[in-house]
Amino acid sequence: MNLSNYCSTHTIYCCAYTKYAAALLVAWLMLSGCQPQMPQTARSGLVYCSEGSPESFNPQLVTSGTTIDIISQQLYDRLVDIDPDNGDIVAGLATSWHVSADGTRYQFNLRDNVSFHSTRYFSPSRKFNANDVQFTFNRITDLNHPFHFEAGGIYPYFQSVDWANLVKKVEAIDDYTVTFELQRPDSSFLSNLATDFAAILSAEYGQQLLAAKQPGQIDRLPVGTGPFRFREYQKDILVRFYRHNDYWRGNTQPEQLVFDIVPNNARRMAKLFTHECDIVAYPRVAELELIAKREDVTVQESTSMNVGFWAFNTQKPPFDQLEVRQALGMAINRAAIMQAVYYGKATPAYGILPPTSWAYNAGLPAPMYSPAKARALLTKAGYPNGFTMNIWAMPVQRLYNPNALKMAELMQADLAQIGIKANIISYEWNSFRQKLGNYEHDSVLIGWAADNADPDNFFRPLLSCAARDSGSNRANWCDPMFDDIIGQALLTADQQQRRALYLTAQQYLHQQQPLVAIAHSQRFQAISSSVSGVSINPYGGISLQHAKRVSP
Amino acid sequence: MSKFRLYLEENNRSPVKQLWREFKRQHSAMTGLVLFISFFVISLLAPFITPHDPYLQVDELLLLPPSWSAAGLVQYPFGTDDLGRDLLSRMIKGTSYTFGFALITVTGALLMGLLLGALAGMSKGVKSSVFNHVLDLALTIPSLLLAIIIVAITGPGLMNTTWAIMLALLPQFVHGIRNAIDEELKQDYVIAYRLDGANDWDVFSRLILPNIWEKLTIMVTMGISTAILDIAALGFLGFGAQAPLSEWGAMISDSLDLIYLAPSSVAIPGLLIFSAVLSVNLVGDGLKTAILKRRQS
Amino acid sequence: MSRYLLRRLYLMAFVFLALSLFAFSLGYLFPGDVIQNLSGLRQIDDEQRQQLINYYQLDQNYLQQYLAFLSRIAQGNWGLSFASQQPLLQEIKLLLPATLELTAYALLLSFILGIPLGIVAAFKPHSLIGKSISALAIAGYSLPIFWWGLLLIMLFSLALGWLPSAGRLGVLYEIPHSSGFMLVDILQADVKYRSEAFHNALRHLLLPTIVLATFPTTVMIRFVRDAMLNVWEQNYIKTAQAKGLSRGQVLYRHGLRNALLPVIRQIGLQFSTLITLAMLTEVIFSWPGIGRWLIDSIYQRNYPAIQAGLLVISTMVITINMLTEILHALFNPLARRG
Repeated sequence: MNLSNYCSTHTIYCCAYTKYAAALLVAWLMLSGCQPQMPQTARSGLVYCSEGSPESFNPQLVTSGTTIDIISQQLYDRLVDIDPDNGDIVAGLATSWHVSADGTRYQFNLRDNVSFHSTRYFSPSRKFNANDVQFTFNRITDLNHPFHFEAGGIYPYFQSVDWANLVKKVEAIDDYTVTFELQRPDSSFLSNLATDFAAILSAEYGQQLLAAKQPGQIDRLPVGTGPFRFREYQKDILVRFYRHNDYWRGNTQPEQLVFDIVPNNARRMAKLFTHECDIVAYPRVAELELIAKREDVTVQESTSMNVGFWAFNTQKPPFDQLEVRQALGMAINRAAIMQAVYYGKATPAYGILPPTSWAYNAGLPAPMYSPAKARALLTKAGYPNGFTMNIWAMPVQRLYNPNALKMAELMQADLAQIGIKANIISYEWNSFRQKLGNYEHDSVLIGWAADNADPDNFFRPLLSCAARDSGSNRANWCDPMFDDIIGQALLTADQQQRRALYLTAQQYLHQQQPLVAIAHSQRFQAISSSVSGVSINPYGGISLQHAKRVSP
Repeated sequence: MSKFRLYLEENNRSPVKQLWREFKRQHSAMTGLVLFISFFVISLLAPFITPHDPYLQVDELLLLPPSWSAAGLVQYPFGTDDLGRDLLSRMIKGTSYTFGFALITVTGALLMGLLLGALAGMSKGVKSSVFNHVLDLALTIPSLLLAIIIVAITGPGLMNTTWAIMLALLPQFVHGIRNAIDEELKQDYVIAYRLDGANDWDVFSRLILPNIWEKLTIMVTMGISTAILDIAALGFLGFGAQAPLSEWGAMISDSLDLIYLAPSSVAIPGLLIFSAVLSVNLVGDGLKTAILKRRQS
Repeated sequence: MSRYLLRRLYLMAFVFLALSLFAFSLGYLFPGDVIQNLSGLRQIDDEQRQQLINYYQLDQNYLQQYLAFLSRIAQGNWGLSFASQQPLLQEIKLLLPATLELTAYALLLSFILGIPLGIVAAFKPHSLIGKSISALAIAGYSLPIFWWGLLLIMLFSLALGWLPSAGRLGVLYEIPHSSGFMLVDILQADVKYRSEAFHNALRHLLLPTIVLATFPTTVMIRFVRDAMLNVWEQNYIKTAQAKGLSRGQVLYRHGLRNALLPVIRQIGLQFSTLITLAMLTEVIFSWPGIGRWLIDSIYQRNYPAIQAGLLVISTMVITINMLTEILHALFNPLARRG
């Protein structure tokens, strides 16, 4: 660049040289671009292209899959984990556990010699113990906990499963034994502990922040026990983690892990192709064949428990009328959606629970597509000339819905057939979720991916009254009948009984239609061929602990 | 350039004819004009000449490639988009949005500009000074930024965009018109006409307007090219035309997701914007040259 | 000259007054709650609301509120961003250098390419070179910049894989933030991979700079060409030629100096357009500058940020405009009149 400075003052005589030099510069830049020369330190890092920024660095506070993918499995551990192969609960920070006969007391034996992250803002003086477990879960339930109200006192996932009314007490028996006392038996309790939201925080770090009078830092500068430790976060640009060298599971390879924030789908794929990213969690299904042809990229596929749906704000007229909701459900041409949005890489959904779940109700009728009947229903409901409504379409690509905006455009055309004028509304992802939480929408295209294998995970966090109060019930729907059915299913550990109740619940949802389930999508992941050890996790967030670069 | 003339030519044709003669001589300008007129005609006739309904989603024909590729169909020359809508029809329809609305925008800005510019140009003193300062401010804020701010207040949409760009173009127009009027007012014949007892309106309508229309046309062409680019840019950013309107800029941003599968669906709308702007600029350049030559001859 | 300066300063003061009034009124024009728009706070309880009403003097008349607004701006108390809940001024400080860096390189490139090409086009208007330069200039002038950027990305990043498609620097390079200007920061950084990082940053710069420079370059070509043609018609050039000076001597001593004088002013006039185009370029190349931030803020309905962004960008444009005009007047006494 000095060259050019020199030349600009001597305009004409040296312009020939300038051009020559510029051409050389360009040539040098491009040629050397073919063989990226990464330095040793940089080469040992991995780049994951994320579709959005994390909302927080504490999994307790969020429900967004984007955030969970970035923070949960990388920074934290849970008491128990889910075996990705069969969905069983396996040991995590707890080595073993015991349930009392009446199902209201869980005792966990904790792993010793687990160290917390040592970062520039915190150096742990002790290993992980029962105090940390107590600290973590009391934050959610105990109103007097110094951190309870730190982030507004809202713990969406835990509220949606009614955690505060379930857990009576968390007690540290000794350093490595902790018990949970429950108000009533809850067959989904262990599954909920295994979700990405139940990450274990450091009590010592909490004390340090209190002493320094900076409690707010706990959710911004995280400390956990996971395979990576926090380094920096540049909003909307990147999140940088370093390797946690004392990780109890050991053998994490990459020295650093960078989450490059690229909200645009096409741009994320571009970065994969130009080798600026190593892993893209949700490649666009439209391009899968194209990607599969490339030698430098591998595509992984697996079935996954998720559902993409169209939820109505059932408190707002006219969506409070059952006929209107049914009419809308019938007006939608799903076959077109399956083709244009999912490219055939999904199964049409009859209800919210995917067929792979053990509580799946195979008896649900296939959804009907009939504009004529939809019109008749609308007339019956008092809207013979239709009405105007909003369809909120999420701005990012998620597992359950690869392109909500496009789906909304399809629906817009379908709805026009029955006289409904639909406006498509979209905001930036985090604002979008915030506004949804305030129930500002008429209807929304969104979905849910399972955090664990328990069917309850599809009912309570999505459609219970508790979920409505926590702002995560997209249908703004609260039906005591429904809550009663799914509540009963939790009181028993007997799978046959539970199954019967969940079948009823699905039938009931089918009648009431607070939301229209659309599809259960396959899960895909595109990774650079130079990276190995990234496998698809059917439940919850992605784990990059075993990822490593195999060829430079 | 003074030319040596052997014979005295008779040269008393009307200014418009002289201008046209000079304009006609430039091939590039003529090409631009033909292109411009075709865009204009297409934008007027768009609803009648689209081969298919631009909003009709044909489920069986998703992402059909252009007809020059083996898998394409003759009925769909540019293929279909990912919702099965005919791209050619959408592009034709898009002409009315991008090109047509640009014309409307500029017409609006011109009318308002004439009014304000005339008021500013004909007035003197403190009023004029304050007005000029406000104008200077408006001129420093980039037009697209101003349009974006206005859209942020009023919300996205093609209509709002049109208003926003009209407002954003206005300062340039007022400024240009005011300067042109200023210049005219200094001419001796204006003073002579005033001494004859003409009032402001007479001066404006009989002397000034006929003498500034050349400058106006150049201003208008520049305005149109800015308006097309701004409408497309706002559409591309998602602040302008909303789905399912097939405004060219919005079409590009829609097709961005398909950049690997159907690169032509990104390339062609862009090419259209480019040729529309180019046609306007060619005409503008040609006019400028023609005016220069006419004055010299 | 001092009278000229005084007049300019007075004008500038007036323009800033009007700008601040406009920015001030935005807080009330934007949809939503005025207190939220002013403070940037998302959740406000009653007690806080009362405090904020006092702080922003919302119970006073508009003049008082405006004065309070001015003093807040002067103190650097610009409120919070809706999206991040961080102080806006701090965010802008981090972003502005990225935009300035890109803009400066593009402007520089447009001079380096535009001036010589313009001169060549002026000298050989009817030759093949002259004609192709003019054709290129009008083509470049008509390019929608976002599409042009996409085309280059499609070609150089996706098809050929030569250049990165987005960002300022490969994310694996960790460069401590000091000045905010990437190349400067890299040179100052005490890291092992300094030269690789520098090389990487240059590769990231190349495409956005070219895209952003396209429009100003074509303007420059057309401007220099017209100015040269105009100057060449002047009598003093003919005098110089009559005296027997060579073509190069005439060009250098008499032609260029007079033709390039208005170019200084051109920088100022160009700057406003350049900033607009920089916003689009930043969006296309995910360049973390103030333009992309502003556009993201609109997507997020982040009203405090939109207001602050407008204020900063306009101030920048006005200042540069004024500076170049003053500079121009310094070199060209004729411009001081009027």
